[in-house]
Amino acid sequence: MSFLIPCPNCGQRSVYEFRFGGEVKTRPAAGSSDEAWLGYSYAAANNARSQKEWWFHTYGCRQWLFAVRDTVTNEVSETSLPEETP
Amino acid sequence: MSRASDSRHSRKSGNPSSAASESNAQSAVTIHFNGKPIAAQPDDTVASALYRSGRRIFSRSFKYHRPRGLLCVAGRCPNCLMNVDGAPNVRACAQPVRDGMTVTHQNANPSLETDFLAVAERFAWAMPVGFYYKTFTHPWMWRLAEPLIRRAAGLGKVDQEPSPDAEHAYEHVFLHTTTTVVGGGPYGMQAALEAAAQGEDVVLIDDQPILGGHLRYAGSGGNGSGATPASMSQSTEESQPDRESLARRVHENPRITAFTNATCFGLYEGNLLAFAHRQPESPVAQCLTQLRTNRIVIATGAHEIPLLFENNDLPGVMLSSGVLRLIGLHGVKPGERAVIVGNEAAAEPLKEALEAANITLAGVVPPAQVVKATGRKRVTGLKTTERDFPCDLVVVCGDWAPDAGLVAQAGGHVAWDEERGVFATGALPDGVSAVGAVTGESLPPAAGLSFHADSNPKKVFVCPCEDVSLHDLETAIDEGFDHIETLKRYTTTTMGPCQGKMCHQAAISVCAQHTGRTIQETGRTTSRPPTSPVPLGALAGPHQHPVKRTPMHAKHDEIGCVWMDMGEWKRPLYYGAPDTKQESVEQEYWAVRKHVGLIDLSTLGKLDVVGKDAGKLLDKVYTNRFSDLRVGRARYGVICDEAGIILDDGTVSRVADDRYFITTTTGNIEFVQEWLEWWLAGSGMCVHVTNVTGGLAAVNVAGPKARETLAKLTERDLSNKRFGYMRCRRAEVAGVPSLMLRIGFVGETGWEIHYPAEYGEHVWDAILEAGKEFDIRPFGVETQRVLRLEKKHVIVSVDTDATSNPIEADLAWVAKLDKPDFIGKAAISRAKDRPPREKLVGFVMDDDVLPPDGCVIIAGGQPAGRITSVRRSPVNEKVIGLAWVAADLATAGQTITMRVDGRPATARIKDEPFYDPAQKRLRQ
Repeated sequence: MSFLIPCPNCGQRSVYEFRFGGEVKTRPAAGSSDEAWLGYSYAAANNARSQKEWWFHTYGCRQWLFAVRDTVTNEVSETSLPEETP
Repeated sequence: MSRASDSRHSRKSGNPSSAASESNAQSAVTIHFNGKPIAAQPDDTVASALYRSGRRIFSRSFKYHRPRGLLCVAGRCPNCLMNVDGAPNVRACAQPVRDGMTVTHQNANPSLETDFLAVAERFAWAMPVGFYYKTFTHPWMWRLAEPLIRRAAGLGKVDQEPSPDAEHAYEHVFLHTTTTVVGGGPYGMQAALEAAAQGEDVVLIDDQPILGGHLRYAGSGGNGSGATPASMSQSTEESQPDRESLARRVHENPRITAFTNATCFGLYEGNLLAFAHRQPESPVAQCLTQLRTNRIVIATGAHEIPLLFENNDLPGVMLSSGVLRLIGLHGVKPGERAVIVGNEAAAEPLKEALEAANITLAGVVPPAQVVKATGRKRVTGLKTTERDFPCDLVVVCGDWAPDAGLVAQAGGHVAWDEERGVFATGALPDGVSAVGAVTGESLPPAAGLSFHADSNPKKVFVCPCEDVSLHDLETAIDEGFDHIETLKRYTTTTMGPCQGKMCHQAAISVCAQHTGRTIQETGRTTSRPPTSPVPLGALAGPHQHPVKRTPMHAKHDEIGCVWMDMGEWKRPLYYGAPDTKQESVEQEYWAVRKHVGLIDLSTLGKLDVVGKDAGKLLDKVYTNRFSDLRVGRARYGVICDEAGIILDDGTVSRVADDRYFITTTTGNIEFVQEWLEWWLAGSGMCVHVTNVTGGLAAVNVAGPKARETLAKLTERDLSNKRFGYMRCRRAEVAGVPSLMLRIGFVGETGWEIHYPAEYGEHVWDAILEAGKEFDIRPFGVETQRVLRLEKKHVIVSVDTDATSNPIEADLAWVAKLDKPDFIGKAAISRAKDRPPREKLVGFVMDDDVLPPDGCVIIAGGQPAGRITSVRRSPVNEKVIGLAWVAADLATAGQTITMRVDGRPATARIKDEPFYDPAQKRLRQ
């Protein structure tokens, strides 16, 4: 695993500088069903295609960011900072 | 892999003596082989020096211990693995000599000439292909055989003694460049020059000591064609520059950085290349470079592979390129009387090379006529269908296989080109290109298999690394392993040290022929890094262990302490001599309980959380409430994940309306910061989280005399009324602006003081001085652990693990389930509703026995829990502890059972803290 992630703050960087934060999921609203919390806490879609993920630039700007990564090719097609994401 | 073969070649003619004069150094060199001095020339490799001294056997084979001699002389085959200066499995033909080098043989006992284990070949019948699976069909058989096999298996022996300069033996380097060319042959050099001409920064990697690829030795035959495939020598040679001028232009070009003696063994995603680089003149034995590059040009060329006939592995049977390298690069005469095996076109240029080197040519034999090579420990003749040739050298003109490992790793397609009869490179991904012989271009069509019916297939070696014979492959295919990938795994062909360089193509041909499929249908096995052997030390890199020291580190050393590692931090375990743990800890303990103690807490994680939404963020992340915390107060807090698992704990102090000061567990600071940042990201909350751990020193002054001690150093009123329990105040301590927190981890009146790290020693000294009259003592982590255990204060990740929630960990009070929302609320609510599985409880041992941390609790003969912390409590004169126990055992007064030193022991569960349960002393 040695792909590159274009950090919106720092530019193209090695994946070793980042910590993986998992798929971007919507947190259930307070009071949601057990199933909703179970799915949110433990289940991952684990798609073999592009998905939106959390990455933390540990050895860079120390910011969380979104990256759209193809889980088959590890190609990161797009990154953005959460603030800029509607 | 990075020698390039090429259709162009130099017209410069060479002979053994002139070709060997590349090196500037002319002084003689001596190496020691098995203790015997061997004279060498400065540009010799270990193998060429040994060959010149008369050595013909260089190794013993893996399985049958057959004698093996030089074959490729290019670092491609496994035949010359030796121990060089303590490093095992060094390819002697690729290792330049150095004066005083010690070389020893390996995998042969007592010597390469006489190896007792050669008897293995007599028992070849007992070791058919896949014999592990066929023979050891019962577990007891394997238990019996394993020690024997283990002793016999393997090649080199690793030196278990760490060498004195081991710390500097390996280095890791990270580089970036625009274009990287792998292979320093004519195509590679040309590509590097072209890229540089376009203004790109270029790195050129070659595994040989000198750039030039086959041009370095191809001229040794006189007409310049040498061992390059016949078709290569037919292209336009007039327009091509010679090796020296190309190499000079590369070295002189400021945009090109050329690495020689560098093995590029892997191409990874994101155009990351890895190469191991020997630095002959530096103490660094191997330097592993990770090179990130925009564009990669693979110019790794091709290598010659052996032909299949009986005894094709005898010393003296050598590839034609190997013969030419010995003559052309090292001026070594490989034999006296040679037979060339090859078709006329391939043999023609060789004839001149042999003649120039004064080698008698006994004959040229087409491959199809060869029956076997004869001789026991070295070749003495070649038997063909026509006649027998006495000889001491068999020059094999083998097929040429592209060095396509990197191409395949890049995701490029390498497939059999039926029309041209070669493996050729197909489409490559963006940013990767291939030039020269590696593409299959200009390679002669493979002659294919032509072994004679009279050849004994058990002695026709396809894979020299693993001693896999033609017979083995055919048997395996007959047994059903007829796919090239299963054939590889079952027979281990292509899985030896040479990584299939010698056998891959031949194994494919055998598989195709024996299954009746085409080579195209048979396909290739997957190519993975490393394409060439890399020392494990180079991969592991330098021995580096970062150490963090607190600002008071030198002071602890001055007093004298026993250090412990806590993550990267060094902390005093206790003060005193190493063998005084019990007395020292007890003295420190009583100092805190009766007088006053001082502990360095600088390793605590510390966060500054600022912003108008700081309280809102903490309310969300911590299980308890902080938005309602009044300025000047501190509160204990727990962080859980969404599943309700405890992640961290610490104190949160509100130092201003919009500012909180947080402490975290030592070593967990990075995580807590990331965690806070995560819940902040995209939330729209206005908060800044700053890690101030390194900037602040911290101490805890605790004990009945703590107030009197600190009163001497600060103006701040420390009275209970003005500075009560769980309050925080800014104050000057010993003249240093500090944050004082009145908290009591150890269960006595005390203050945690956070102040700028620069004043670490100053404040430490001032407190010790001020406390002198009260018999103050510094105390270490061990004492703190006893003190806190008496208070039943939990240490996250010691007393909790990855399954602990606050309800079961006896921390239910920190989970404010009336808050509308917080991380983990749903899970903790559920945990509260259901009966607990197990609980964290305190216990007192009935007898004076000390169970170990982690001791299992037994109920009805079954495990029913485990001890997480246990210490002897000086004040109770009892052994106390914390343990996870099954819920039905977890009520006060119940007895739990465990085994200590083989004897049963009992303890009684206790609800309240073991010391000062009414919290009076804390609040005094």
